[in-house]
Amino acid sequence: MTEKTDKSDIIVCRCEDVSLQEIEDLIDQGITDPEELKRFLRIGMGPCQGRTCGKLVTRIIAQKTGRPVNEIKSTTKRPPLVSIRMNELFEDDNE
Amino acid sequence: MNNTFDAIIIGGGIVGTGAGYYLSKKGLNVLLIEKNYLTSGSTGRCITGIRQQFSTPPSIKTAMESVRLFKNMEDEFGFSVEWKDSGYLFLAHTEELASMFKKNIEIQRSVGLDVEFISAEECKKRVPLLDTEALIGGAWCESDGQADPFFVVKGFSSGIVKNHGTIKTRTQVVDIIVEDNKVKGVKTDSGDTYYSRVVINAAGPWAKEVGKMAGVKIDVEPERHEALITEGVEYMGIPMLVDYRPDGGYFVQRVTGQFIGCFTPEKQIPGTSTDSTLEFLKEMSRRMCRLVPALENVSILRQWAGSYCMTPDGNPLVGETEVSGFYVCTGMSGHGFMLGPAITSFLSNYITEGTWPFDLDEILYGRTFGQKESMK
Repeated sequence: MTEKTDKSDIIVCRCEDVSLQEIEDLIDQGITDPEELKRFLRIGMGPCQGRTCGKLVTRIIAQKTGRPVNEIKSTTKRPPLVSIRMNELFEDDNE
Repeated sequence: MNNTFDAIIIGGGIVGTGAGYYLSKKGLNVLLIEKNYLTSGSTGRCITGIRQQFSTPPSIKTAMESVRLFKNMEDEFGFSVEWKDSGYLFLAHTEELASMFKKNIEIQRSVGLDVEFISAEECKKRVPLLDTEALIGGAWCESDGQADPFFVVKGFSSGIVKNHGTIKTRTQVVDIIVEDNKVKGVKTDSGDTYYSRVVINAAGPWAKEVGKMAGVKIDVEPERHEALITEGVEYMGIPMLVDYRPDGGYFVQRVTGQFIGCFTPEKQIPGTSTDSTLEFLKEMSRRMCRLVPALENVSILRQWAGSYCMTPDGNPLVGETEVSGFYVCTGMSGHGFMLGPAITSFLSNYITEGTWPFDLDEILYGRTFGQKESMK
């Protein structure tokens, strides 16, 4: 990353197209809870379910607020573990 | 720090943030306390639908006012809350249901709502992907819609902060101070005491416990409802489809492309548990694909559960309690997100001016629970 890289061009969540700038702006507004950042920006709510951006968001919060990483809770993980097509759920029943 | 406020609100969902927003807009210095994070209760677990098709004039008029408020939010907040007038189609697979819808449509039209009963062919025309087998017709209202509950709460909560209010999340109210039958303030789990002559119980599924702290009995019971959301696909404008069959359900395509939906469990599951089950995942998929077979190839991303906060008659529970200054605004019975903006704006007016906009007896605290809402 060069010094001149615009933070709006750094995409943290590819699924929902959320930039570093957007995350930092909300943290500056006092929203530092990963659960609220997730919901207000939709970070981690796309197809990969936060596999990449989850960790990045934790680090960004830590860097911006000075709080240690181990004090920043990760967001609730919800089933299914991987996305699954509806007809695959039916096929299961036929086996 | 000053520990005295004009109003203290317990709960950070649509009701708490809405009440805080409308009161702070009137110049009141508000404090909102949320035990978890904003939207963590029922609001953030809803399936985003906003409808006006209810069965009594007060509830229809309240919902119509909510739609007006949702439409104005983009201008008011300065960002989109993803309001979309994608409509609600209540499906009738029996003559009995069709005549119930038609009866309600008369009432809805009498207060100015544009709604009609359409044939199965017309349903198919509106929703080409709909399987109309055994369908008689449907109640269609095209000004019903959807919005993003997280964005709406973000708008309300940042409005509170802009209006010089205070929001404390991850903070739990553990006691409510009452003296001479008047509310005086609240105590929190962080050991702080905050004072106000107005305290609003907007705790949704936990409203009963919060009521007890003030010695007030709140007649609400939470019930677990499960939900799921799919990946986003091309937006096809599929409205909220409400299938009243015993193995029915309701789902809508979000304006962002995902399908989101749930069904009412056959047997009520009382309590605030938010466990989700594989049975729901399979069953909901089957039910969705029966109505819209094209969904077979769409993937499910996430499932979760939330609480419907039920009153005995299915109407909200709003107003001042027998403890002076202690208000309740809960019991939304599954309609909190859609009715929240209107009801909290009404309540804010009541707190500051002492009047309701029209006869709202059917939602007021202290009423006798009677007739059930038929458009559940």
